[in-house]
Amino acid sequence: MSGVEALPLYLDHAATTPVDARVAAAMDDCLRQEGTFGNPASPHLYGRRARERIESSRSQVARLIGAAAPDLLFTSGATESNNLAILGSVRSLGRRAHVVTASSEHRSVLDACRQLEREGHSASYLAPDAHGLIEASQLEAALRAETVLVSIMHANNETGVVQDIAALAAVCRRHAVALHVDAAQSAGKLPIDVRSLGVDLLSFTAHKLYGPKGIGALYAAPRQRASLQPLLFGGGQERGIRSGTLAVHQIVGFGVACEMALIDLPAQAERLTRLTQLLWHGLADLPGVLRNGHATRCAPGVLNVSFEGIEGESLMAGLTELAVSSGSACDSDSEEPSHVLRSLGRSRELAQSALRVSLGRSSGEPQVQRAVAAIRREVLRLRAVAP
Amino acid sequence: MAEEDPLGPRVRALFMDLAHAGDLLPLAAGEAQAVCTGEAGRTGEGTRVRFSLRLSGTRVEQVRYRAFGCPFTLATCEWLARELPGCELHGAVERALEKAVGTPAGWAATLGVPAARLGRLLVVEDALRQALATKAPCEPTRRPMVRCSVTDPDESMTDSG
Repeated sequence: MSGVEALPLYLDHAATTPVDARVAAAMDDCLRQEGTFGNPASPHLYGRRARERIESSRSQVARLIGAAAPDLLFTSGATESNNLAILGSVRSLGRRAHVVTASSEHRSVLDACRQLEREGHSASYLAPDAHGLIEASQLEAALRAETVLVSIMHANNETGVVQDIAALAAVCRRHAVALHVDAAQSAGKLPIDVRSLGVDLLSFTAHKLYGPKGIGALYAAPRQRASLQPLLFGGGQERGIRSGTLAVHQIVGFGVACEMALIDLPAQAERLTRLTQLLWHGLADLPGVLRNGHATRCAPGVLNVSFEGIEGESLMAGLTELAVSSGSACDSDSEEPSHVLRSLGRSRELAQSALRVSLGRSSGEPQVQRAVAAIRREVLRLRAVAP
Repeated sequence: MAEEDPLGPRVRALFMDLAHAGDLLPLAAGEAQAVCTGEAGRTGEGTRVRFSLRLSGTRVEQVRYRAFGCPFTLATCEWLARELPGCELHGAVERALEKAVGTPAGWAATLGVPAARLGRLLVVEDALRQALATKAPCEPTRRPMVRCSVTDPDESMTDSG
């Protein structure tokens, strides 16, 4: 048997989501001659129509996070937003500065901080506790006189662990330090209100919430926006902070996706939380199974588990009927297993054996039951083979 | 290309049917056959393999293995467990194995294991060598031997010289 003929059940919504049909239809309208295909920078009717769609979409996207539309900049995705927030905030100062982040952050945050270090700035990497949480007191202790920015993600991309952003923001406010939040995994899944949270910068992306890939946004509070140095130079779009012709179809798709997410958010959050519990209960009685992250402070739909005595790549390879993510480094013998799980104190072996299942709109109880049966079968099969 | 299984058809088939995983129990003293066991690698390093071989003189009768590792490792163990029975292992361990089933590079070529995984197959080979290196004390028909349990008279002469 080849094992790959049947289309696997998609349970990797934290990696990306399919574009919703309504989003695709709205995007399609912006791609054709008879639709809104113009360059929004053009002064003619086609351009003005495109500009109108852009601004309408900006309002839709802003509403999802409780922001004012002018405070939103469109980017190519969360990676660019994270880079712009971190590099743009620090480089503009013209002096040596210090930033604080966590060792469990996404690579796009960690690598931007490392780039700052190469440029002569300094960075502190907070170690989360065993559940993946960063305490406000821990952050406060890491702040220095020269600290200008803190970057902490809302929901972790591997474990789903949700940080107490309001508490961290309060610390930052007390010390007059800007707070950037990577909300790629939480926007559209958890309620976010940037103004009540006291966040200065917030990154998110369309493709995690049933929108298209290649479009994201950076919320920048007016004070913070004024001091952002661009990464891209050119036509001066997005108030001169992010040059480049605006991708009308992607922005329109992003807007529709955000509007739908906002409407569905409470019901989906409740449904996915219940299904995640069902999934966990289906696996929890296996010997040597460990949940990575926090049992309750977790983004809806995300379950990350490690299995003692199981090699992650073999587990993934045996689960031919499921499309899930692994904590293992499957592509190279030299790569380290998940830095996120290692930062939680998991051993190399346990990090390597981790499996992330992330549920979405297409997931229901039958899908969860199929996943439980497949994972149990494969764990038991590989354990029977192990020395 | 996207539809292709990254494991390739041979590795996939072997990986999904690890029928020879298990152990061979040591035989009682005086029986005509010997069971030798060898292990290599570490779980913490991603690969650990144990082989048990039942030998009748120089002939491999039965092979079982236990393995922790990537799918390529498990598939290679399974393949060796199918290939080795019936082989005669003459001479020094390294050469005997090579004559019987080839080298790890050859296994990789036969099964379609990527070059980047060759290191894992070397652990598999080490486990087999370890198993054969323990063969001498279990040999039912003792002969004077040096090094790793060779029974080919000519090789023995060379080694002992």
